[in-house]
Formats: sequence, C-alpha cells, structure tokens
Amino acid sequence: MNTQTTINKSFWYADWSFPILCGLLSAGIFAGTHTFYVYGIGAFNEIAFVAMLKSGMTTGDYGAVAAFGASFLFARVIEGSLVGILDIGGALQTGIGLGVPALLLAGGYTLPIENFLVALLTGLLLGMAIGLLIILIRKFTVNSGGGSTFGADVMMGAGNASGRFLGPMIILSAMVASIPIGIGSLLGALLFYVWKKPITGGAILGAMIFGGIFPII
Amino acid sequence: MEILIIALKSIVIGGLCGFGVGAGAARMFHAPTYQGMGAFRTLGELNSCESDPAAHFSFGLGFFFNAWASSVAAGSFTQDVDHRIIPNWGAALLMIKNRNLEQTLHSPKKMAFACALIGVIVVLFLNTTTSVIPDSLKITATKVLVPAANLLVATVMPVIFWLAALDAGRRSGFWGTLFGGLAQLIMGNAVPGLVLGILIGKGVDDSGWNRVMKIMLAAVIVLFVMSGYFRGFDMKMINSFRDGLSYWFK
Repeated sequence: MNTQTTINKSFWYADWSFPILCGLLSAGIFAGTHTFYVYGIGAFNEIAFVAMLKSGMTTGDYGAVAAFGASFLFARVIEGSLVGILDIGGALQTGIGLGVPALLLAGGYTLPIENFLVALLTGLLLGMAIGLLIILIRKFTVNSGGGSTFGADVMMGAGNASGRFLGPMIILSAMVASIPIGIGSLLGALLFYVWKKPITGGAILGAMIFGGIFPII
Repeated sequence: MEILIIALKSIVIGGLCGFGVGAGAARMFHAPTYQGMGAFRTLGELNSCESDPAAHFSFGLGFFFNAWASSVAAGSFTQDVDHRIIPNWGAALLMIKNRNLEQTLHSPKKMAFACALIGVIVVLFLNTTTSVIPDSLKITATKVLVPAANLLVATVMPVIFWLAALDAGRRSGFWGTLFGGLAQLIMGNAVPGLVLGILIGKGVDDSGWNRVMKIMLAAVIVLFVMSGYFRGFDMKMINSFRDGLSYWFK
C-alpha cells in the first residue's frame, strides 16, 4: 500500500502485463480440466464443483455447470476490477476451468478439451481476454464510482451452499451402492469430521477403501 | 507410458499456474494501485504468517493433505492448490534466505519464479501419485460420486438457487421464478434461468430500469426463444397441448 507515490511501470507491475499473467494461469487451469477430462485427474477445483462437470460428462447435460461457472466468472470479473484483486477461485478455476469447458462440450466442441496443446492455447486466450476486460473496466470505472454487482453475492452464496450438500449425499449414494461401501463412507466421513476436514473427501475415500476390499460383483 | 505423458503435462501445467499465481499474489499487496490476482482470504492468510517461513510452510501443508485426499478420491485438486499451497510454499521458499517482505512476498518477479517451481512439484506429485491408484477403487468412487453429483445438479442446486432468489428481494424472486421455471421446461435445468433472474432482479434493484438492464432483459428473452427453438420445445409444447385438447374433442 505504500507504493502509491511511485507508479512502477515495469512488466511485473504494469497494467498491460496483467492479461499476460492472467492468461498463463488460465492456460494451466484449462489444461488441468483437460487432464481431468482425459485421465480423470488434475482439475483445479473443489470436489463438489468438479462433480458437476463429471455429471455432465456422463449424462451429456452441461446446462447447470455451464451456468454455474459462467455466473461466477461474470460476478468475479466485475468484483475483481472494482476492488483490484481478481478472485482466482471464482473467475479462473470455476469460470474458465469449469464453465467454459462445459459450454464448449455442450456445444459439441470437444477438441479444446481433448487436445493438450489446444487446451493450453484456449486457456491462454480466454485468460488474456478476461485480464484485458478487467483492465478496461478499471479504466472505465475509476472515475464513475461504485455500480451494481448484479446480485453476485447472492449467486456465490447459493453456489457455495450447494457445494456443502455433496458430503451427505455421497454417503446416501454410497449406502445405495452396497452395505460395505456405505459403512466405509460413513466411517470415512466421521473420521474427517473429527479431524476437522470437509467430510466429502472422507466419505469418498472410505467408500473407495471398503469398495476395494468388498467389491460390488 | 501414460504416466510419463501425465508427468510431462503436469510439469507444464504446474509451471504456468505457479507463475501466474505467484505474480498475482505478490501484486495483491500493491492493490488497488496495481491489479492483483488471488483472493482476499489468501491476502489475509499470507499476512498472518508474519514472514515466518515455517508458518507459511505448515499452513500450506495442512491444505496439501486435504488436496491430496481430494485428488485421490475424485481427481480434483481443490481450489486450495492455487489459493493457498502454491503461494504459501513459494513465500516459504523465498524467506529461507531473506526475510525482507519487500524483496520476497511482495516482489511479483521473485514470487513468480519461486511459485512456478513449487507449482511444478505440487502438480507433478498430485497427478502422478493419484494416477497409479488401481482402477477397481476408481470404479467405486465413480459409482458413489456420480449419482450424488447428479442429485446435486438436478435437485439441490435448483432448489438452493431458487430459495436464494426468493430471499434476495421481490424483483429477484419474481424474475428468478419466471426464468427458473422456463429454464426447467426448455433447458431441463432451472439453474441458468435462476441465475439470470437474480442478475436482472438485483441489477434493477441497484440501478433502476436503465438502458443496460433493458438490453440485458431483451438478451435473456432472445436466449430463451432461441434455445427453445433449437431444442424443439415449441413443437413439443404444441403437441402436448393438442394431445390434451383432443381428449375433450374426440
């Protein structure tokens, strides 16, 4: 905060370099979604949000995850340019990492997600576009004062609240799968709760361990 | 062979993410003069470690175990990899040599390179260790996770977004209910409509029925009409009404 007296115009501080930094990070995140799509690993997001993409991949209906990601992106871009800190989680990890791939997959464009190099390039360009947009909004709104956030807080609150539902629902669906898997999931969730970690991870890990020992035939 | 490809890709991904996260996190300390990238909670947490490398490292480590469990279970890193693990470990790495904040945590250049290195290591570790898990375990995870996720997407999210729209004021409630219902009919999921309804309702609450809001409402209506047409909703609706009428007039 004490740097206001001297405006540093070097690459590391300049406005023009922000879209580049944003683009590099987005390229990595988008490629992470590529590895998730192809190998089932490496998506840069919470289990609950990634599960929505997974659900789209199995049912072919990407509407919910696309809307979820796009609304986060929209909200965070407005907020990020007003406060000077772009939220990576909402804008890039959820918006570009989940929302945009869902939109592309829903439209039948699988190439940007299936091909690693195209994924990197798509992420880079999208991130640069977001970065540029933020810098432009900053230039535009610096003098005009505060504006509407278009209910961004309401949407993000609802998004995070729905993520919390996944833990208990995993236990419920584990119990439908088989009795041992259900018990494993229950124990895992209890263990994680006592250990003060989100129960979602424990529920899945417990189900996996018991599912490995007592497979469903 | 596949694991080698995954490893190579992980190195690229980790490097790119680390570089961006590091530079963005350091720039946060100079916001709002310069545009930063990260999160307010990240900023607070980085400050709370008070330039102690051990504090930064152990803070990141707690989230690292959680990220690992989540990667093993569902292939998702959690958002904490970019938000907490990479910036904190990058800061810890720089502070081993030098505890001056201006030259470490607050320097975008140094943070970018330190975090790029950390990013490569973290992503490589998470991806290679989780890709060797036997398939039988992954099948169980999918069997459990997919029905739960479907339930989340089909029922829980629409309900929560709907209640949020109703609670956010009369305008969001009205537009959310209208567009949410139409979205469920036309697109098969109410969430897109509810989000647009909240957007319009809150936008009008904050700034009135100005030109921007009118354009936005028109765009939403066009969106619904177009997707209704392309999904064949118009024909389906006419047919269902006709079938109902023909019951009375046969």
